[in-house]
Amino acid sequence: MTDAPSMIEIEGLHKHFGSLHVLRGIDLRVAKGEVICIIGPSGSGKSTLLRCINHLEVAEAGRIRIDGQTVYRDEVNGSMRSHSNRAISAVRAQVGMVFQQFNLFPHLTVIGNIIEAPVHVLRRPKDEARRRALELLAQVGLSDKVDAYPEELSGGQQQRAAIARALAMDPKAMLFDEATSALDPELVAEVLTVMRDLASRGMTMVVVTHEMNFARQVAARVIFMDHGQIVEEGEPRAIFGAPREPRTREFLRTVLDR
Amino acid sequence: MELLNPEIAAANIGPLFAGLVMTIELTFVVILLSLVFALLVALGGMSRFRPLRWLVKAYIEAIRGTPLLLQLIYIYYVLPEIGIRLNSFVAGVIALTLNYSAYLSEVYRGGIQAISKGQHDAAAALGMTSGLAMRRIILPQAVRIVIPALGNYFIALFKDTALCSVISIQEVVFTAQIIAARNFQYFTLYTIVGIMYFTVSFPAARLVGYLERRMRAGYRRKLR
Ligand SMILES: Nc1ncnc2c1ncn2[C@@H]1O[C@H](COP(=O)(O)OP(=O)(O)OP(=O)(O)O)[C@@H](O)[C@H]1O
Ligand SMILES: [Mg+2]
Repeated sequence: MTDAPSMIEIEGLHKHFGSLHVLRGIDLRVAKGEVICIIGPSGSGKSTLLRCINHLEVAEAGRIRIDGQTVYRDEVNGSMRSHSNRAISAVRAQVGMVFQQFNLFPHLTVIGNIIEAPVHVLRRPKDEARRRALELLAQVGLSDKVDAYPEELSGGQQQRAAIARALAMDPKAMLFDEATSALDPELVAEVLTVMRDLASRGMTMVVVTHEMNFARQVAARVIFMDHGQIVEEGEPRAIFGAPREPRTREFLRTVLDR
Repeated sequence: MELLNPEIAAANIGPLFAGLVMTIELTFVVILLSLVFALLVALGGMSRFRPLRWLVKAYIEAIRGTPLLLQLIYIYYVLPEIGIRLNSFVAGVIALTLNYSAYLSEVYRGGIQAISKGQHDAAAALGMTSGLAMRRIILPQAVRIVIPALGNYFIALFKDTALCSVISIQEVVFTAQIIAARNFQYFTLYTIVGIMYFTVSFPAARLVGYLERRMRAGYRRKLR
């Protein structure tokens, strides 16, 4: 994977919340078509890292490149200059994100949710956006829920609709922040199946998850984070089979021996 | 003392009804203007531009800190002294719109702030600018939340238009006053006026109650 071109490159990322140093120098590279899973204890900064990748949180230091382009800000003569809001939005339009709480738009139907951004951000014609939305709904198994409102759906169905909504932008990469953590146990599998399917279609994915089996089976690389740093990374076999770092071992012991 | 005198009632119902029509006209004009103006005030109050926020805050406090009656009198009687002469209807519309917009903007603000951060995040993550997200995602949900509160304010407005009698807008109370000054039939005249207000307010309040129940039912394909 290492010689494939990069989709996401992060260098020296730092983020504070007030006096709390949440990301302490993150370096991470995700190749095109690669699936990585980020694991780690609560509060280790996993969500914050994902949110920095699409600028929902603003890192104070460090550089992010997406598909070769430096995004969100540039260094000009030694000082940082932020990109315009419009430029930032344009980058976000190329990176899909799936949230723990789904965050579907409750006032729009399922198809309304999916065509909203293609029509109003990408300015695609409505019928073309609808056609693509119906394909995506078939892909995530929601062809019978096209005109339903989000609150008429189960959690698993809502999350699959949210995935379809992100995919409708034809993103270069997808970020998943604990996409299954808010779901009843019996609904987790249907969402993981959709994510697996997406991985097999070659989507670049950064997945924050507590589903260790998913990480083991789908990820090309697993990243273990603790206290705002990447403590250890490697192939799932190595991380789960023979973790080098004591902190990784301890974390895996707590999550696997429940 | 004669209570509700049918002859007096029949003789004056025409002018009183015309007064009621004026009351309703005034109410609707102010509703339309304040729906829009209050939204602009609410957005201004949340602007990133600090002087605009201050201006909005000062305006809201000034309105809330003084009586509506005084605001009416001020716009109609005091402004001409600095060369701004308005007819009574326009003065009434301006005073009521300024007054109600101050309160309604707070209602809007509450509705906008009630929309979860997750909605903003989801919109932003799809590449929407904050303006587009406000227009397409936040406001439609916020407006729906505030519809019952707006409705209650508009019923209060309908009744508050009676204050415009002091600047001699020919609404229903002013009309009754003029007739009563001639024939001294206070009881009959003001009872009719009371019935007229109630006949409009009561169904309006029921409608607001219905909208509130519908809103609480959430977003569904078949609203019941
Ligand atoms: N908006 C915020 N303001 C202040 N502190 C925050 C904010 N968001 C996160 N934090 C703090 O930053 C730290 C990292 O949070 P983050 O959500 O990134 O952790 P996480 O690894 O995703 O945890 P979890 O597994 O519980 O989701 C935590 O201590 C959290 O309390
Ligand atoms: Mg998290």
